[in-house]
Amino acid sequence: MKKWFSITLGIVTATGGFLDAGTVATSGEAGAKFGLGLIWAVLLATVAVILLVEMIGRFTALSQKTYADAIRENFGFKFYLLPLISGIIAESLLLAAEIGGIAIALSLFTGISWHYLFPVAALLVWILSWRAPFSLIENGPALLGLITLSFLVGIVVLGGPPRELLPTLWKPDIKQGELADYLFLVAAILGATISPYLLYFYSSGAREEKWSRDSLLLNRVTAIVGMSFGSLGSISLLVLGAIVLRPLNISSSTLGELGLAMAKPLGPLGAYLFAGALFATCLGAALEVMLGVSYNIAQGFGWEWGENKKPVEAARFNLVLTIILLVAVAIGLFGTDPLQLALLASTVIALFLPISLTPFLFIMNDPDYLGDHTNGRFANIAIICVLIIAFIVAVIALPLEILTGGG
Amino acid sequence: MWKNAGIALLLLVLLMMATGCQLTQPAFTRTVGNAGSAFAAAETTLSYAHEGKITYAYASSSFVNYQSELEGLDQSLPSLQGAPSKQTVQHLLDLYKPAIQAVDAPCLNQSCNWRAQVASLNRASKAFLEAGGS
Repeated sequence: MKKWFSITLGIVTATGGFLDAGTVATSGEAGAKFGLGLIWAVLLATVAVILLVEMIGRFTALSQKTYADAIRENFGFKFYLLPLISGIIAESLLLAAEIGGIAIALSLFTGISWHYLFPVAALLVWILSWRAPFSLIENGPALLGLITLSFLVGIVVLGGPPRELLPTLWKPDIKQGELADYLFLVAAILGATISPYLLYFYSSGAREEKWSRDSLLLNRVTAIVGMSFGSLGSISLLVLGAIVLRPLNISSSTLGELGLAMAKPLGPLGAYLFAGALFATCLGAALEVMLGVSYNIAQGFGWEWGENKKPVEAARFNLVLTIILLVAVAIGLFGTDPLQLALLASTVIALFLPISLTPFLFIMNDPDYLGDHTNGRFANIAIICVLIIAFIVAVIALPLEILTGGG
Repeated sequence: MWKNAGIALLLLVLLMMATGCQLTQPAFTRTVGNAGSAFAAAETTLSYAHEGKITYAYASSSFVNYQSELEGLDQSLPSLQGAPSKQTVQHLLDLYKPAIQAVDAPCLNQSCNWRAQVASLNRASKAFLEAGGS
């Protein structure tokens, strides 16, 4: 029974890895600008991320190695540096955005400017990552992440999408000159969802929880339930943006605007539920990003690592945690809007996505690691499709960011 | 195969860059559209605060972000690429002034005239959105 509580690993991975400042921003903006016309992009990203998470969980459970271990062993240390360096660049930006998201959530509760709350948010993240055991990091944001279910309640209270909105599901309302915005949001949704740090975190989490061959079913259920949970939250936000903000001509270009969509059906409670969900998802994501980068570096360099170990037992792992946080704080102190940072991070992640995902195709077909559980034909075709999407997104993300000015 | 796919993608990017003007809006249209949307958000936030749908704390926090989004627009607007006649720009600037005052100092209690602020935000929002093609 206890083992099945491990499903929270999936939910926390979804709460931080699927739903984060970037996804909240892109989902709300997508709904506000294009109605239901970008739900397909969220669904596509969901399928891709379920496949990747299931595969990396299966790999770790069977081989007892993490994704970072596998990349270094198979492709050598020099190649390993590519996803590592690209990950550090993208995830430092993302961590700054997530801490900013926490600060904005606290600001929506208190009315104090988020700029003043940014250091408080950073301190909270540092204390949790430094002192909290893995079980608390898993269960805390996972439980708080359940607040995102209130988005569904909001939609129900509003009576669901009006009939005139439904055609935007298959025929998006793209006005003249808005095609670049539409394509940028597609790339941003995919970039914000299919994040390499999510894979490093999930893989390392499986090791922290000592997954084995017996955990394969658990892994599959976790991947599907966890990521579908995240997807549900993302789609609900998109629908709320489409129902409430679009008719008001509000494009959801700041995070607080999305709370108005919850305030309409549920009043102040709705606005606070949104702020609570933003807090939970950004906190989960911040912890996940920090740990993901630290796991990646420690595993790649062969250092002691583990959130369940005391800081002194894994000193370099914990030092990296602190350094990456300081880098993010330095970025955040420039005062850039967290939402813009999140979109920029999504673009950078999209740009480097193929580097992080290409090794999948090789390691998932290596019987030395996986025995008789290597990828079948369907899984290989699926991973090739994900790689093709990753390449396309990588190529178009930056030009679209420049053309649209980041949405 | 990968080489061909790479060339195809490169051509796609070049095509997108070359036809960028058709894919996206001119800077003026984009900027005033975004500003119109921000004024609409500010109007809704202020109305919701006084209708009891959100707390004053929530509204106060939101207005900090609207300020960052809208400040300095009066300086940049006239020089943006694709700007229409001087008269249109001046009309927008005339509406911008009272609206940005409401954004900078929103009336978040019962002792000031919040309805007047909502009205000026509404006028600015409509004019900017119209100029932005919405």
